Amino acid sequence: MTPEIIYPIAKFIAEKILKQPSKIITADEALISSGLIDSFSLMDLALFIEDTFSVRIEDTELNAETFDNLNQLASLIQSRK
Amino acid sequence: MALENILILAAASLLWGSLLRHRGRTWFLLIASVVVIFWLQPALPIRGADFWAPLATLVLVVLTWYITADDETRKQRKNIIILLIVAGVVLLLNLTRFLSADFQLLTASRPPQLKTTLLIFLITGLTLLALSRLTRFSASFLTVGLVLTIGLFLLIKIPALSLWLSSFLRTLSGQSLTNVSINDFRWLGFSYVAFRLIHTIRDKQSGRFPSVDVGEFITYVIFFPAFTAGPIDRLERFIKDLRAPFAGLYFETFYPAGQRLLLGLFKKFVIADALALIALNDTNATQVTSTFWMWVIVYAYTFQIYFDFSGYTNIALGIAQLLGIKLPENFASPYLKPNLTQFWNNWHMTLTQWFRAYFFNPITRWLRSWQKPMSIPTMILLTQVTTMLLIGFWHGVTWNFTLWGLWHGLGLFIHNRWNDATKVKAAAWATTPTRQAILNISGILLTFHFVAIGWIFFALSSPVTSWQVILKLFGAH
Repeated sequence: MTPEIIYPIAKFIAEKILKQPSKIITADEALISSGLIDSFSLMDLALFIEDTFSVRIEDTELNAETFDNLNQLASLIQSRK
Repeated sequence: MALENILILAAASLLWGSLLRHRGRTWFLLIASVVVIFWLQPALPIRGADFWAPLATLVLVVLTWYITADDETRKQRKNIIILLIVAGVVLLLNLTRFLSADFQLLTASRPPQLKTTLLIFLITGLTLLALSRLTRFSASFLTVGLVLTIGLFLLIKIPALSLWLSSFLRTLSGQSLTNVSINDFRWLGFSYVAFRLIHTIRDKQSGRFPSVDVGEFITYVIFFPAFTAGPIDRLERFIKDLRAPFAGLYFETFYPAGQRLLLGLFKKFVIADALALIALNDTNATQVTSTFWMWVIVYAYTFQIYFDFSGYTNIALGIAQLLGIKLPENFASPYLKPNLTQFWNNWHMTLTQWFRAYFFNPITRWLRSWQKPMSIPTMILLTQVTTMLLIGFWHGVTWNFTLWGLWHGLGLFIHNRWNDATKVKAAAWATTPTRQAILNISGILLTFHFVAIGWIFFALSSPVTSWQVILKLFGAH
């Protein structure tokens, strides 16, 4: 189940946010606390997730405490599906 | 908080945490917090105001709880008992007016007449009763609550309105208006209280609000270790700790709490207070003539404000930990961050997270949803600058904080654009550890100095003086 969620998100982050399509983002790599994704791109990510998986991520959930890596994000998405 | 306040609170918390542990802890936290907000409120030139300010905080918190709680929780009988006990504590504090002045230790000045307090209780009670009679609990109450809280916030933060408020309160207490000043009504802790209230109202509006009784809610908003200087916790998180069984203090729990507290005391009362002797202020800004000494006092201020604020945070976290509550972190080595975005992710973190959750993200989402969205750079400029201006206004709606907010808003925008334009090149260049270190260290130095120069606007009340200080720093004056 999870790779189906993780793969498109990892691709989106590498291509659209970091603009480094060849970059590989591992499932446990810190995304927010490390500064890899800034607060503006975080909203892009939320909108992408909402469009792709039809689950809502609240404005108050876009922080490292709610999810900081792809694994945590995937389980958040799964819990809402 | 002065040193003696902190030591008394730490000693009380230590005793409770080690002897009584979980027994009665909820009551202790509630009652201690209620007493502490009266105890810490400084004396004010308006008669009785140092009693009315904390009482107003309590009334506001209770009303906010009432409009945000769900029907079932609101009707529980235990809330009435809790409210009666809180009212009883306030009455006892009020009754100390009949003791001799030597025993009026819990309020800054002699508490006012009892009848006004009773009248406030009556009005609050009748308001709650009237609200409870309404069969349909309308969502518009939440909007009213939100507008009221923001309105009060502006009243305190905009100098012209504060002056009007002072005149109004002076007239009300029959005092002369000749000495009226914007500092007449210093409402201790209100900046933080307002932000916790807005957070709960907004979360209720978006449908995510844990059901908490009135005692838990009061404790969350005015929790004594975090009352004067934060951090701004989130209700769900705080309640989890409050409800969890607390095994009490033993070595493994006491050690980190004690260490936190001592570190905080050292940072605040040794380092920050020593730096304060030479740190930039309105007086020395105009007296220092050499570029070298100007840098010294600017650096001193830069470190003073960090050690002062992060020291306070450590003290709050340490005391809370003695009672089994783990408050969120507020600082994570902000001056060692390689860019301004990272600085703001690690400086006063709970405030920046608050602004992200309740201002920046909703605004960005809204701008993104436009049929014909504006260009990305324009959007980033707009959202970063408005967010930072609001963070500036949170400190006070004055020119110096406006400029400080603008400085950081523009800085974040420039960093964002710079990063966007260079990150591929930088990643390609920084292939060796040495090159990575060069990038990192130069980033840290640049960010630190950008922040340090920003503090000049923050520290000095006059933007003209700030500008002269900046000119002097670069030898141009």
